[in-house]
Amino acid sequence: MKYLTILLIGSMSLMGASTEVVQYMNELSSVAKTENKSFAGFDAARGKEIFTSTHTGKQGKPISCTSCHTTNLSNYGKNSLTGKVIEPLSPKANPQRLTSVKEVTKWLKRNFVDVYAREGTAQEKGDVLTYIIKN
Amino acid sequence: MKIFLNISLAAALFVGGVYLYADDDEMEHARPAYSKPLSKQDQASAALYKKECGACHMAYQAGFLPKRSWDKTMKGLDNHFGTDATMDAADTKTIQNYLMTYASKNDRITDMKGAVALRISQTPHFVKEHREITQKMITQPEVKSIANCTACHTKAETGSYREREIHIPNYGRWE
Repeated sequence: MKYLTILLIGSMSLMGASTEVVQYMNELSSVAKTENKSFAGFDAARGKEIFTSTHTGKQGKPISCTSCHTTNLSNYGKNSLTGKVIEPLSPKANPQRLTSVKEVTKWLKRNFVDVYAREGTAQEKGDVLTYIIKN
Repeated sequence: MKIFLNISLAAALFVGGVYLYADDDEMEHARPAYSKPLSKQDQASAALYKKECGACHMAYQAGFLPKRSWDKTMKGLDNHFGTDATMDAADTKTIQNYLMTYASKNDRITDMKGAVALRISQTPHFVKEHREITQKMITQPEVKSIANCTACHTKAETGSYREREIHIPNYGRWE
């Protein structure tokens, strides 16, 4: 039983997201299916495009997720406005990442608005989370 | 226990004393704005404030702005200096209550002649204290903005702004 528990915890951390975040992504997946009939699962490549492309943000200026998080998710980032250091986004580099749905939903909402000047769709959120888990 | 200690340490460092009257060359010496120990609830609120607001910038001590400023700030988090800083309703309320409780009651610091200051850097006391700071000192990459207290005030996070603790990047101590 002890080994089973260790194994379970081990495989969860390999997935790169906590059980509650995985559950949240399943919910996003259900919503994505209703919004897009051809939806066939989240895709890290689409997530990468969402994360690395430049858009006219909330301030009307060009901005990308990488403006603060950099293109290497295992690196420390830096808030482009305040200069405050940001912990790595990758769960591999920073085990605290993707452990709390409250944190994940808060930042996805804020950061989509700041970069895309709108909230993300369920599919976009799932894609970008998939990209973060895999990097 | 560890969590509790962390929270109380953070709270003690955080609101335990805001040394606003920090001029070593003046009569007024470091005087904590609040000397009463925080209740457990206020300690938890202080820790939440530090975690949430401190994620993007130093969690400025509540005593730097009056109530009306914090009220306006907390009601406009969807456009907080051009960014979305919203959080869930419960946390927003906790932080708002905390900031309102420990807001400045001192007109000398925050008298804006009726205007509602959103930037601490626009309050008269702040402007006066920073009158000798040049644009070059502020805009250099190591500082970036006048809002970046910790770039020069080495103990700002603890609420201490003594002159002897100032170190301006590429310029040195303030003497």
